[in-house]
Parts: sequence; structure tokens; C-alpha cells
Amino acid sequence: MSNDRETILTRVRDALAPLKERAPLPDWDTELAIMRRLVPAHEPWVLFCERLVAVNGLPLDSAAALAAWLREHQHLHGYCDPALWPRLAAHFGEGFTVETEYDRARVDDYQFGITAAAGAVAETGTLILDDRATTRRLAALTPWVHIAVLSRAAIFADLQQAVAAMGDDPNIIWCTGPSKTADVEGILIEGVHGPGIQIALLLG
Amino acid sequence: MNLADRIRPDAGRRVQLMATCLCDAFYDDAARATVEVLEHLGCTVEFPAAQTCCGQPAFNGGDWPASRKVVRHTVETFAGDCPVVVPSGSCAAMMFHGALLEFEREADLPAVAALGRRTWELADFIVHGLGVTTWPGRYDARIAFHRSCHGRGTPSSAAAEQLLGSVAGLTLAPFGEGEQCCGFGGTFSVSFPNISAGMGELKLDHLRAAKPDVLVSGDMSCLMHLGGLAEKDGRPVKTQHLAQVLRDALKNGGLI
Amino acid sequence: MKFQQIDQFAAHLRPSTRAAVYDGSKKGHEKRTQVLFDHYPDPDRLRQLAGEIKQHVIENLDTYLPAIEAKLKANGVIVHWAATAEAANEAVLAIMRARNATRMVKAKTMVSEETELAHFLEKNGVECMETDLGEFIVQIDHDHPSHIVKPIIHKNRRDIATSFEKNGLGAYNDDPQTITRRARDFLRKKYLVADVALTGANFLVAESGRLVLVTNEGNSRFCLAATRCHIAMVGIEKILPRDRDLGLLLNLLGRSGTGQQLTVYTEFITGPRAPAQPDGPDEMHVILVDNGRTDVLASDCRDILRCIRCGACLNVCPVYRQASGHAYRSVYPGPVGAVLSPLLMGKDFPEKADLPKASSLCGACNEVCPVDIPIPDLLLRLREKGKREHSAAAAAGTPPMGAWSLLASQPTAWKAALLGGRIINYLPTKMLPIPALRAWEGKRSLPAWRGGEFRHWLKGRARSPGAPPPTSGGQSPRPS
Repeated sequence: MSNDRETILTRVRDALAPLKERAPLPDWDTELAIMRRLVPAHEPWVLFCERLVAVNGLPLDSAAALAAWLREHQHLHGYCDPALWPRLAAHFGEGFTVETEYDRARVDDYQFGITAAAGAVAETGTLILDDRATTRRLAALTPWVHIAVLSRAAIFADLQQAVAAMGDDPNIIWCTGPSKTADVEGILIEGVHGPGIQIALLLG
Repeated sequence: MNLADRIRPDAGRRVQLMATCLCDAFYDDAARATVEVLEHLGCTVEFPAAQTCCGQPAFNGGDWPASRKVVRHTVETFAGDCPVVVPSGSCAAMMFHGALLEFEREADLPAVAALGRRTWELADFIVHGLGVTTWPGRYDARIAFHRSCHGRGTPSSAAAEQLLGSVAGLTLAPFGEGEQCCGFGGTFSVSFPNISAGMGELKLDHLRAAKPDVLVSGDMSCLMHLGGLAEKDGRPVKTQHLAQVLRDALKNGGLI
Repeated sequence: MKFQQIDQFAAHLRPSTRAAVYDGSKKGHEKRTQVLFDHYPDPDRLRQLAGEIKQHVIENLDTYLPAIEAKLKANGVIVHWAATAEAANEAVLAIMRARNATRMVKAKTMVSEETELAHFLEKNGVECMETDLGEFIVQIDHDHPSHIVKPIIHKNRRDIATSFEKNGLGAYNDDPQTITRRARDFLRKKYLVADVALTGANFLVAESGRLVLVTNEGNSRFCLAATRCHIAMVGIEKILPRDRDLGLLLNLLGRSGTGQQLTVYTEFITGPRAPAQPDGPDEMHVILVDNGRTDVLASDCRDILRCIRCGACLNVCPVYRQASGHAYRSVYPGPVGAVLSPLLMGKDFPEKADLPKASSLCGACNEVCPVDIPIPDLLLRLREKGKREHSAAAAAGTPPMGAWSLLASQPTAWKAALLGGRIINYLPTKMLPIPALRAWEGKRSLPAWRGGEFRHWLKGRARSPGAPPPTSGGQSPRPS
């Protein structure tokens, strides 16, 4: 293996040796890659909602609205981040079974999973999850409905800001709408391996 | 090559005509129309009689030594300093792009590049070389203009459409998938006959749906392929080179 | 060999396959164009910038590779180097064996297609499950992907339903929703018992060591949520200099590949899971793979290493649309494949030197490329290389150019030929002595030969200046 390292690096150096000059690294203005037509047309949460809906996601702005939606769609059994549950519990009345411990042996028992988002991007309707904010990667992925809980202050206006703010969390994932495929005849199907419904819940 | 740096016509508007091998062998009227159009614009047109071909067939075929031989002949034939005008985007691009690629490591690259800087496709020359943006006369027809692929990245197709769009009586008919190639591709048309014809038939379907009176292009090669396919299929289409339309507009308007 | 292999493949393609490929690629191209031009005033400027960034990387790989290695190690990632496909596969197997692991779930990676990893692992007793829906269908069908981002573009729902039935995934049902649900149920069981996850990387950022993965289905996320060990096979050209460059490249990748502003899941990984996170790998390996890339780097076609595998050039390519991906006999089909695949063959280049011929050189690929690769120029260089290396595959059906170049460099002979060519007006097709003319006439009629007419007209004018030019007669077809 260390041999392969030397082989590759030697071959790279030999391949580049004849070049009289090397292409310079261009600096570029992030402004060019921002959809300026949209940003900042609105207040970040308003734009975020519009863009999330455009990728078939569902924005909600109260715990009561979430509970009502879940009840309406008969999603009564789920998982919730134990740190978030105290803020939501009062709105979830009778009939709900909400676990605050996720058991990977019963992944199909959870119809919904509620976890905290690390942030969001208004421009694209993207939810940002990371290892620190998400109690369990699986809980945000395996249930049919994923609810990411978001605070207004954590919404970036555009993607460039979100890139610039990426810290040292070892795993950051941007989720832009529900899991989907168009592999079969180009027909859009949602809920392939991950959630079929992606909800963003604004709390605070 | 930066096309903005090309040699422009002098006050006497002297130009050399590169007629192309296809016009030399099949489409004399397209070459003739080019002369008449240029003369109408006040150009003095010189035809270097030793000209043959731009060298593109062998270049595209991968036989670069054979192609360079022809390009060297062309460079010699078109000695001088005035613009060289070509009624073909394809042959023009061979001179200002393709030839430079195959001469990259050759000592006579500068001479080849110098000819490239003098070479203009006809519509590009009229609009950007001479600054003529509207066309007089009259041509009563619905025209489908096929943007030939060698015009990509050059101002040629937009220039041609600008000129055609300004002719009295002429309507430009839009059609689907305009960015798609007609399938000619030089030797590609004979080494990949099935794919080439399949591409051409798709193009013809789109063109026919637009119901044009005439199919027009700045390249006779595309028209030779599309026209040939249509005729073989028993449903011929009328084709004309851009230069023929411009010339006929002048005639119809009594301007020549 | 009389005909080009790709043309023959196209001629015998099942019409429903051609229709599926045409529809899929046309839709892909239209979405891409609409989204890019709808979102940005000057997408071409973005493509050029992205091209410059990637060109900078490949021309400075000698400094970027040691830099990325150091950064990955500092982030707690175990780095491996693999000069060949075999070495890359062996490295994966060694990691599996060291963990007594026998079950792998795999996200889509083109480099693992190059090394035929799944096949290699199965031979060595490791279950290797493709999790991307399209790749999964290809796997159970013992087929090959035919598009870089839409692996089953060549299949319709009936094909898929039939193979699901054959493979015990339920009774025949060709509803795309049912097909997807069945795959969902089958594969989540696989993720949850797998030992190791294998992915590729769309980008690897030198500045931060961030490995970036994009998917729409969430399969790579599931791989990295359910398993304890992550192996990433990464081609050495995948590097980006800075995190901020992701803000450009990700915007172009989604739009160019699938017409999306962003793919649904964009994952940034710098190492094993955070200490408090219960799910995900506690061990992460990156295998830096050469497998012919340094040959490409040494060639005059190194620009192709900019490629970010978006598939936009396939979607727009009229030849790909006619021929389908399998015609290219390679992991990489379409315009990018026509450049990359023969180069990755190394000394066996001549075997696939016909691929660069499969193009009308229309240049649409260059126009859509998110990193502005001058694909037609590279195809031309490879045609020259194929000719120089006497590739029989490349020569098939190509008219010889020696006699033509002799003629076209001797004006007297040329003028004589212009007149002599008239003979073709009087010969029936069958007697045409030149194969190229016969190939032409098989599909199209030939216009009448009028060699010398233009020069004759010019001379006539010179003799009588001021005389009105002859009227423009239409072109009459040659008699057949």
C-alpha cells in the first residue's frame, strides 16, 4: 500500500513535469452562485417555506399544527428527541405513542421521527442536520415522516452562507425535501430509503 | 482563438473567397450567391484558383499528417492579408480552430494561426466584419433555419438569424430541439450511417412539424445530408444556403 | 471490419430501449437547461469558473494529494492508496477481513464500477448489496448500468417488474410506486445487518478533508447510519481546494445531473461519528484510487479529469440517444466515456479507439458541461492517437484519406477531378466504386455532381465584365 502511494505520487509528478505552467486557482465571487432573483426577496422563514414546498416538503410553525397533521394522517406512533419532547408533549393528546428512546430492532414501528435541525437554508428549502443536533441518524431517516425542529435564528439566507458556516461536526447532511427517485421511467417516487414526507417545524 | 481579434476588411473591402469543396463539386449556386452577396456589399471578391479543401475530412478522421498537408496547401493558396470569407461555419471553424489543434506542435503554427485570424464565416462577416445588420429586398417564405453545429461558440448563427429576420416577407419558423445536430458530421455520416440517419430523421421530424417553405442553413453539408435523407424517403424538402436566400431577396427587390 | 461497432449496436437496438433512452435523456437535458437559465443570469460563467478550479486541481495534484492525505489523517481517517483496480479491491477486502466482516452495503460509486468491486467481493465470500434503486435493479438482473446517473435508463417498468418477480420480490407488478416500496422493504433489512458501508465521493475538499456525497434516495445516508465502518473509494481527481468551492460545484452538479437545484441529500463527512452520536461508523477509510488516471494526466487529454460525473453530456448527446449506453462497452458511456474509457485502457487503448469516432463533433457536450471540458477537441486528439496506433476498431468504415490529401494538395489534379467526378451522375448506385459513397447512398440520395460549374461561371464573368450573372437554376438530382 505504501508502495502504491509512492507509485501514484511518482506518476503524478512525472505526468505534470512537462507542464510549463500550472493553471492558477481562480478566486470567485460567491454572489455569482446565489439565486438573487429569490434571495433576499423575503424574510428567511417565509422564503424557506416557499422553497421547501417547491421540493415537496411541508413547513409548519407550531407544535399544535404538527400534532394535528400527524393525527389527521394517522401517524400516531413515533420517536421524539427527549430534549424536544417537553416542548411538544402538551400538544400531543390521547392516541399518540411517542418514544424518546429509539430501538433499531423496530425501525418499522416508528411512523414519524422528531429530531432537531442544526439549521436551514432559505434559498433552497434545505434542512441542515448534523451529529450534534441529531440524537440518532436512524431516527431522522427510517420513519416515513421526519420532522426537523428549527429555530428562526438558524436559517441562512443562501447556500453560500451555509457553506461558509460549516464547522467541525464530523457529519453534516443537507436534506432538501423527501427521499426520492426517478429511476423507473423518469417517474418521481418519494420515500425510497428515507422519509417519504419531510416536515420542518419552526419552534422559536 | 479569440474571434474578436480577427482581421477586418480594409476600406477597399477586398476579400478572398474560400468556396468550399462541396460548393466546388455540388453546390455551385451557393458559391455564386456568396459572390453576388459580397459584391452587393461593395466587396472586391478574389477567388484563389488553387484552392481545394480546408482539410477537415482527414482532420476529423484522425489522419492529421494527411490533413496538415492539405492545410499547408490552403495556407499557401490564401496568402495575403485580407479577410477570407467562407460560406460554411464548418470550414471556417476548421481554419480558426481545428487547424490550430493539429498544428499545436508544428513549426508553421504561426502561419496557420494567421490564416485563422483572417477567416470569417459569411453571416458573421456580414454582421460583425462589415457591420451590416439588416438585409434589404424581399423574400416571401416561411423559413426554418438550422443552426449548424460548427457555429456553436461563434457569432454565426445569431448573425444569420438576425439577417434573415430582417428580410421583408420572410418568417423564421421555430422548431423543436434546435440545439441537436443533424447527424452529418463529415466522415461520421458514412462510418456511422445508421446513427447519422437516425439523427437526421429526428431533425427532419422537427423541421417538418414547423411546416417551412424552405430549410435554410449556413452549411451546405447539413443540407446535403438532410435534403438527401428527405429525398431518399420520398418526401423531398426544399433547401437553400443562407447566401442563396440573401441573394434571392436582393433579386426580388430589384437590387441586383 | 467493415462497420463501426457502435453504429452496428445502434442499428440492432430494441426500439423500446431506444425510445426509453431518448425520452430519459431528452427530459434530463430540458430540465437542466430550464433550471440553470431560470436560476442564474450567466450559467456559462459558472461553468467556466468550475472548469478553472478543477483544472487547477488536476495540474497541481502533486501537492494536493499529500495535502489531502495529511488532512484526512488529522481528522482520524485511515488513508489507503491503490495504483490499480486490483489494489483497490484488495484494500477493501483486507479491511473487511480485519473486521471479520461479511456483509457490505454499497452506495453508487463509479470508481467501484471500474474496479468491478461487487463481483470481486462476491467471489471472496462477501455479500455486496447495491442500494441505489437503479444499481440494485442492475445487480439482480446481472446487467450493467447504461448511464452515469440514471443506471437503468434503458429499462422500462415491465422489464423491472419481470426481474423483481424472477428474484422473489413479489408477484409481477409494474407500478413504479410498488417497485420502489418493495426495494425499500428489502434493502432496509440489508442495511441494518451490514457490517461495512462502501461509498464513493463526489468531492474531497483539501482544505477541510470534507468528503462530500450526494444522493436523492438517501441510500448513502442509510449506509452511514446503520453500519460501523465506512470505506470510501475515491478517484485521485475528486479533490476541490476549498470548502467555498462546494458552493459553486454543488449548485452545478445537481442542476446539470438531474435538473435539481440540489440533490435531496448532500452529506459532508470529515471522519467517524461524533462521540455522543449512537449511529454511524466509528472507523472511516479513504482509498485513493489511480487505476489509469495518472496515464490520463500524462496525456494531452488531461482536461477530462475535471469531470464530475453529472451525465449532462450523455443527456444532450444525439449519438448516445441513438445508440444507448451499452453501445460504448464501458463503465463510462456517452461523450465523457468516449474520451475517458479508451484512455483508462492504458496500453490497450486501440481496443476502444473506436469510441472517440462515435461523435458528429457537434459540440453540444461542451456546451452543457458544468466544468467546461472541451470534449470535441479531446475526441479529435484521440482519433489521431487511434490512427497513429493503427487501431482496427477505429479504422472500421472510415474512408482512407491518403489519396484525398494528395488530390487536395495538387490544384491541377483537383480541377481535373472536379470535371471527372461527373461520371457519378451516370452510374447506378450499385456500381459506385467507393465504399463511402455507397454508405452515403444507403441512407440518402446524392445530389448531382456539378464539379467545375462555379469556376466556369467565374471565368465567364471575368471575360465579360458587367454581364448579368446566370440565373440560379435549382439543383437537379442525379439520375439513379
